[in-house]
Amino acid sequence: MRQLLLSRAWIAGYALLAIAILAVPVAIDDPYLLNKFARYLIFATLAVALSLSWGYTGILNLGQAVSFGLGSYCMAMALKLKTMPIQTGTGGLPDFMVWNNVPSLPWFWQPFHSIGVAIAAGIAVPVGLALILGWFIFRARVAGVYVSIITLALLVIINLLIIDQQRFTGGFNGLTDLSDLQVMGIDFDPYSAATYYLAAGALILSLIVGLAIINSKTGLIMQAIRDDETRVRYFGYDVAAYQIFALSVSAGISGVAGMLYAVVMAFASPTFLSVQLSLSIVIWCAVGGRASLIGAAIGALLVTGIQGSLSETPIFLNTWLLIMGALFVAVVLLLPKGLISLVQSAITLFSRPVADRTATPVNKTMVG
Amino acid sequence: MVEAFNQILNGLSIASILLLVSLGLAIIYGSMGVINLAHGDFLMLGAYAVWFLQSTFGIGLLPCLGLVFVIVGLVGWAIERTLIRHLYGRPLDTLLATWGIGIILQQAIRLSAGAELRYVKMPDYLINPINLFGTDISAYRLMIFGVTLALLVATYLLIFRSNFGMRLRAVTQNAEISRCFGINVSQVYALTFAYGAGLAGLAGALVSPLKSVSPDMGTGYVVDAFLVVVMGGVQSLFGTVASAGMLGQLSTWFAFVSNDTLARALVFSLVLVMIRFRPQGLFVTQVRRG
Amino acid sequence: MALLEVKGVQVKFNGFLALRGLDLKIEAGELRCLIGPNGAGKTTALDVICGKARPSVGEIVFDGHKTSRLDEHRIARLGVGRKFQVPSVFRELTVRENLDVAQSKTAGVFRNLGPRKRHDPALQRLAEFVGLADERDEPAGNLSHGQTQWLEIAMLMAQDSRLILLDEPTAGMTAAETRKTAELCRRLKGQHSLIVVEHDMGFIREIGDVISVMHQGRLLAQGTVAEIEVDPLVKEAYLGSGGISHA
Repeated sequence: MRQLLLSRAWIAGYALLAIAILAVPVAIDDPYLLNKFARYLIFATLAVALSLSWGYTGILNLGQAVSFGLGSYCMAMALKLKTMPIQTGTGGLPDFMVWNNVPSLPWFWQPFHSIGVAIAAGIAVPVGLALILGWFIFRARVAGVYVSIITLALLVIINLLIIDQQRFTGGFNGLTDLSDLQVMGIDFDPYSAATYYLAAGALILSLIVGLAIINSKTGLIMQAIRDDETRVRYFGYDVAAYQIFALSVSAGISGVAGMLYAVVMAFASPTFLSVQLSLSIVIWCAVGGRASLIGAAIGALLVTGIQGSLSETPIFLNTWLLIMGALFVAVVLLLPKGLISLVQSAITLFSRPVADRTATPVNKTMVG
Repeated sequence: MVEAFNQILNGLSIASILLLVSLGLAIIYGSMGVINLAHGDFLMLGAYAVWFLQSTFGIGLLPCLGLVFVIVGLVGWAIERTLIRHLYGRPLDTLLATWGIGIILQQAIRLSAGAELRYVKMPDYLINPINLFGTDISAYRLMIFGVTLALLVATYLLIFRSNFGMRLRAVTQNAEISRCFGINVSQVYALTFAYGAGLAGLAGALVSPLKSVSPDMGTGYVVDAFLVVVMGGVQSLFGTVASAGMLGQLSTWFAFVSNDTLARALVFSLVLVMIRFRPQGLFVTQVRRG
Repeated sequence: MALLEVKGVQVKFNGFLALRGLDLKIEAGELRCLIGPNGAGKTTALDVICGKARPSVGEIVFDGHKTSRLDEHRIARLGVGRKFQVPSVFRELTVRENLDVAQSKTAGVFRNLGPRKRHDPALQRLAEFVGLADERDEPAGNLSHGQTQWLEIAMLMAQDSRLILLDEPTAGMTAAETRKTAELCRRLKGQHSLIVVEHDMGFIREIGDVISVMHQGRLLAQGTVAEIEVDPLVKEAYLGSGGISHA
């Protein structure tokens, strides 16, 4: 009975969220606001991706922004090549390459003349990197905090590399002056409802994919790995394969989010791969509830929404990070399962008979 | 030949900085199981402390060191007492909480000292290079090498030869049983954390004249420090030293053929490959898996 | 050919020899009890069979496969199941989900991506069998110690391995629960092979056919309960701890 009530409440929650997201452009026709909301939706997609790896599989990826950033650069490269008036030099070289005396378009830029290739790469590059990284660390049975440290190191180094290779990446400034994304005759102007719906579609799709995974047996085994990965091994599951899968799916979704972000912002820069963004993703998940896809999404919408409205007032612009840090520490200390756990316990409380059995907690289990 | 000798000296210099930066981190993780992501920000605090003392009171860098150690150590102590002590046995949560603390420290400095780059003056008597076996070497870097060596010896004595170190090692082995034998575990933890933070502060003070001082300077250092600790294996002071030495040499040689950033990326890839085949670290012997 | 053969296996931890040339042969359908004083290497023997520990010398053949170099999950997939001394279940998953994880006939990531069965009669029967039917939607972390033991036993049954390794299954159980476990062991043998590490001689008398006695990392003696109890070597090994029946 309780189980049924819980699952009904969740379905209602997801449906409400989807309707609310889709209804925004009907209620609001301020292009500036739409653009801002589209950004929030993309952040929520990122939080959903982290929830899959961290909340459900126990892989705290502190380098989530790597996938996001690589996705955004893939899209930005294609859009940069479409920016006609800005291009100079022979064969339409992007402006920053001309300034850096790059003689001709480098080979790895060539395929990005095609939007299709760019979109494929925006998913394939982050997923490929996740596969390689996952093979190294999960096959070696690196777990817990080590995974976090290694992913953080990867983030910092890729960020440095992008800044360092200015000739090919635009360095600090990144790729700016991008044209609009045009697919199937639709022009995705950053301030249009079309772009907003693109972001909304990505979020809803990532929620659907995420739900499908966590409701499959694969998702169940991912959660078992989060609880006790050694034990899972003795049931005959290849733990590393499941971890690599979770990390890769999460990277793929982040890649999509990154591509959309380049469209919405009309630029891509090393700040998309910053430690600060990675930290923010972790905070959104932690605040909303990492072991709940909808919790993570709402956490992101809430925190970025508050941030967005506070940053209009100059006092908060400076203290925002201070507030974020404090909020984060408070959540870790006091509400490790996030805001969603409050909702969960409220539902459980109302559906639980008063004279229920008292459960005795057992000590933490350990293997061998 | 001289070139190669020069490279080796450069490597040693980088190694000593790496060791200096990672020593506090290694001690806190090895003995308390706390992943301190705020380590880089403690380092940054040390650098700012020097900048403040120097620009306000005109105190030279070297006389500052003791004071910096105490200041940052106290900050570490306060953070351990108020936050970290609630999180023992939850390594992932300590990592998250210290990350949050790091952000708070960074922003606090940005708001109080400003976001612009600050510069710390090198002591005049250490500016001129010293000629060593036919190659010029920076006197300042030589001094860092010496201080690192001294800190290493001091840390070794503290852990393996002092009464406090004995208690610390007992707590590391088994906190519960140590408590039964009357060891004040919580005090041992607090002091260890303060010592690790103090070391980070010293490291920050010492590196401050080499580069500019900024609120987010810690991020790069904390990553380097973690690579050293991961490579060396936790709970092994020797491993930390050996791995700092190795990474220092590698970085120099890689940087010699490419540039600093590419060298860093190469070193990272190497650490990743190493982890695949020796996840417990290079310098730790195999223990019972479980 | 025997289902499991352990041939001259040595296991070293930091220079300490936990096993020094262990030989063991288990036939299909057999229930074997493994006893011995503390530090005899019983748990290590189970560890080395399921891949948790690696032999430095010697080899292990399970059903014709050499397993000493295989990953744990490969050994498990060949049909070796293990219950650890400390009960280990997935605390954040419900009883039903725990059983579902244990039922691991299909192990691949992509083959498990379909929607999960919400109700599996076989698992439901298992939950009923171990008396956890009412707790099936309860997170395993909320179960009592005894219930956790039973859940893990049910998980082993769901896994349905050909060889089941039980490390002190009755530790912390009441007399009635111990009897139920003995009954269960008797039921499992024949279709499954079992190796049971136990200290409780009463339990061993109830279930045991052949008993292997280990001492200092080797096999010391082998035989029926009656034979073992009068064996002078065994008596000597247990001296100090007051004889085998009080171990």
